[in-house]
Amino acid sequence: MIDRELAEKIAACVKCGSCRAVCTLYPERRTEVNVARGKIALLESAMAGEVGLPACGAIPLGEERDAAVREALADCLLCGRCERNCPNQVAVEEILVAGRTRFADKLGLPVWKRILFDEVLPSARALNAVRAAGNAAQHLLRKMPTESGLHYRFPDVAGLHGRTLPALPPIGFVASLGKDEARAGEVMLFPGCVFDLVMPEIGRDSYETLKAAWGEVTVSRDAACCGLPALASGDRAGAMKAISKNLVAMRAAAPRSIVFPCGSCLKMFRRDLLNVIPTDHPLRDAAEWVAERCVDYATSILDSPLVRILVPAPAAFGAGSVGWHDPCHLSGTLGRGEAGRELLERAVGRGFGEMKGTDRCCGYGGTFNARDYPTSARIGENKISLAIQGGTSTIVTACSGCILQLRDMAARVSRQTRVRHLAQVVRGLLPA
Amino acid sequence: MEATSRTCLKDIFGDRFKDSPEDRLCYAYDATGKEFLPDAVAYPVDAEEVRQAILLANERRFPVIPRGAGSGFSGGCLPVRGGLVLSTERMNRVLSIDPANLLAVVEPGVVTETLKEEARRFSLFYPPDPASMKFGTIGGNIAECAGGMSAVKYGVTRDYVLGLEAVLGSGEMIRTGVSTAKGVVGYDLTRMLVGSEGTLGFVTRATLRLLPLPESTGTLLALFRDNGEASRAVAGIVEARITPSAMELMDRSAIDCVRRVVALDLPEETGCALLVEVDGAPPSVASELEGVEMALRAYGAIEVRRATDGPGRERLWKLRRSISPALRKIAPVKLNEDIVVPRSALPEMMAFLSELAARERLTIVNFGHAGDGNIHVNVMISGTDSDERRRADAAVETIFRKTVDLGGTISGEHGVGISKAPFFEMEVGPLGVSVMKRLKAAFDPNGILNPGKIWLEESAVTR
Ligand SMILES: Cc1cc2nc3c(=O)[nH]c(=O)nc-3n(C[C@H](O)[C@H](O)[C@H](O)COP(=O)(O)OP(=O)(O)OC[C@H]3O[C@@H](n4cnc5c(N)ncnc54)[C@H](O)[C@@H]3O)c2cc1C
Ligand code: SF4
Ligand code: SF4
Ligand code: SF4
Repeated sequence: MIDRELAEKIAACVKCGSCRAVCTLYPERRTEVNVARGKIALLESAMAGEVGLPACGAIPLGEERDAAVREALADCLLCGRCERNCPNQVAVEEILVAGRTRFADKLGLPVWKRILFDEVLPSARALNAVRAAGNAAQHLLRKMPTESGLHYRFPDVAGLHGRTLPALPPIGFVASLGKDEARAGEVMLFPGCVFDLVMPEIGRDSYETLKAAWGEVTVSRDAACCGLPALASGDRAGAMKAISKNLVAMRAAAPRSIVFPCGSCLKMFRRDLLNVIPTDHPLRDAAEWVAERCVDYATSILDSPLVRILVPAPAAFGAGSVGWHDPCHLSGTLGRGEAGRELLERAVGRGFGEMKGTDRCCGYGGTFNARDYPTSARIGENKISLAIQGGTSTIVTACSGCILQLRDMAARVSRQTRVRHLAQVVRGLLPA
Repeated sequence: MEATSRTCLKDIFGDRFKDSPEDRLCYAYDATGKEFLPDAVAYPVDAEEVRQAILLANERRFPVIPRGAGSGFSGGCLPVRGGLVLSTERMNRVLSIDPANLLAVVEPGVVTETLKEEARRFSLFYPPDPASMKFGTIGGNIAECAGGMSAVKYGVTRDYVLGLEAVLGSGEMIRTGVSTAKGVVGYDLTRMLVGSEGTLGFVTRATLRLLPLPESTGTLLALFRDNGEASRAVAGIVEARITPSAMELMDRSAIDCVRRVVALDLPEETGCALLVEVDGAPPSVASELEGVEMALRAYGAIEVRRATDGPGRERLWKLRRSISPALRKIAPVKLNEDIVVPRSALPEMMAFLSELAARERLTIVNFGHAGDGNIHVNVMISGTDSDERRRADAAVETIFRKTVDLGGTISGEHGVGISKAPFFEMEVGPLGVSVMKRLKAAFDPNGILNPGKIWLEESAVTR
């Protein structure tokens, strides 16, 4: 985004303060720096010297100041609640990401992020190598068998805060596909790196249910990360690298639709893609073609003949005990939460009940979880406690970040709470 | 602010004292679009910290500016002379709800909606409902004497403040008012503090009156051909001895403005709309809805829509709620005023505003709490044309003059702050100003608290 455009977007904020009412982070911090209004004011001021915005006391430029503003911009879950509630429709997320990009360009990224975004995430090979290494090393950790599969609990040292993560599997989902599997079908599945490499069973469940719905399903063998982590951290080049690989593969497969079991990846392809790829870029046409064909998992199943033969299994759940968690990106930003709810309701019948705090952010926020785990965990624990209070014992959703976080939080708050992906529920109903 | 003051403040607040450029910048604005940089910000957690900070300010002569959510429309919390912003963001506990005595005791940083929710859990009701209630604070509401949609029936913040604990500008701590349903001992210092815009005392605790929660609510949206019919209908409803809990008027300019950004299913000839809400026990709500509808039709409503359930009522509110966001889309800058005229003068004022807009070639969008004669007048400025800006500023002054001539007031809810200070004397007269200044001196002899507000004058306080 060129500065003039960014300045215009910033000027749309009238500093009314409405964003304080909904910010996920504000109740934890209670300072202006942590609401959208404050961050926008800081960015505005940091830019003042360069584009001449009228602002009182422009922050004098300099490395120390830049670093401080960068920190403020990073301290946000990008959950988008402020933006959806802003009476002036200020493009908060775009502004914050543009700000992060600005500072990443100016000050550079930390080395680990550079390697992660530029080398690891855009490459299926590198990702698999990391998974394999993790798989080999993880026996050093404490095993935590939970209902949702084998997990490891990290020690409560070195910033790991006793977090629980799923065990890294010996083989990823895509790699597990047989030679004759995943051949050209009308529907393509983009599992995303988490459902491919960290929770391959969800990748598999998505694949099998989509097959039951649509027949043959294509999966790209060198699909990589969607690029969202890089983009959100302000690394446009890293994001482009990931996106380009995916776009080429998707365009070549030429499917009728591309299905995303993860809401965050979907947001990247449906919404951010066209902002990231300039109109004169050689991949622009491919990007437009792809963006149009991206759908969420629930919508794809609801549109298929499969949905008519799904017989709910009410006996499996207590009445009203299964709730839907609205992932911020899927439900809020893209407005596709209702499809997830509808599919879930069809799948579990009277087991479905509206979950208390259903649209509250889980507190993951991508890199925010790594940045400030204690706060991320507090937000997540509150979310689980609220769900329990409302009688929900199984939380179903469709976003990889949310599942990682909600499972970790469930392990902290109540091991009885189950967290599942929609595809897992639907697969349970397929005829054997 | 001198280094010694900073050191002392650090001793009082520890890491809740901040003076980095970033922290200062985030407390330089409110909803007025103006910015003034404070020297520092601190987040007290109790009255004692507030007291210590204000005592220090008296000793070392720096301004102290109370701040809630910074949602004010008149610049009340802007540090126009620098100094220390004392934010109530961390004084945000509802201390008690007392269903037997219908009371709540709260800290000033409690968000109004939070108090309303807490009260609702006891089937109780805190009526003031400024449109900013989801983020604005009780402290800010008290300091501005905020009002809202329900003021027509339930009154404004002032009517619910029974007693206060405050640190005066002098640094003395005071308790005012009562915790009983009535009390007449001495001067009403509580009312002095309510609406004083943070210039007399820093409110650290408030005892508020609650009411039983009305059991049900019904809503009507009436569509009229013009403003005249609608404003006469307002009088008609009042004459029918019905007190609605909201009565919001949207004139043609407001409707046109919304039409330009969202699709509305309104008949073409709609030139004005009136939204009326009644609450109470279900039978009385039903009969009042009947009565209101009759009055609306009698005054020429082309259509009246009615709803008593949540989603239905929300649909009727859509037009009203769409106005503010739509305004921004038609022009980047608005001069947002909140004049009040006697209800009987409403038709004259509305007519005057339309004529003024035509004469001065300005877009003036009017809507508001017609039930209490409170009109939100928005003079829209479409670009950087300096002639337009000049005409708009002049129009605002003309509107204020007309308001005062009609026996009205230049601010019904936003306060004087810095925005209306130039017109303050126009309404209260020189003697009024002089008495108020003497009162200010009694509360705040060194002019520490929120200098530069309400009236125009050079403050003795330096930064
Ligand atoms: C979208 C929007 C809608 C609004 N709707 C309405 C409305 O319907 N009705 C209405 O009346 N107003 C409305 N307002 C204006 C504003 O919200 C109110 O004036 C509100 O009361 C301000 O509260 P605050 O917490 O934001 O206070 P601030 O803006 O932070 O401060 C306002 C004043 O209160 C003083 N103050 C704050 N806390 C204390 C304290 N503890 N002790 C002493 N002084 C203190 C400050 O010094 C300042 O003078 C609206 C504003 C916005 C942005
Ligand atoms: S709600 Fe929107 S306009 Fe208001 S302060 Fe926040 S970002 Fe700015
Ligand atoms: S994106 Fe979420 S966390 Fe970030 S400022 Fe907006 S509401 Fe707060
Ligand atoms: S992980 Fe899900 S709920 Fe959490 S911030 Fe991301 S989209 Fe929102």
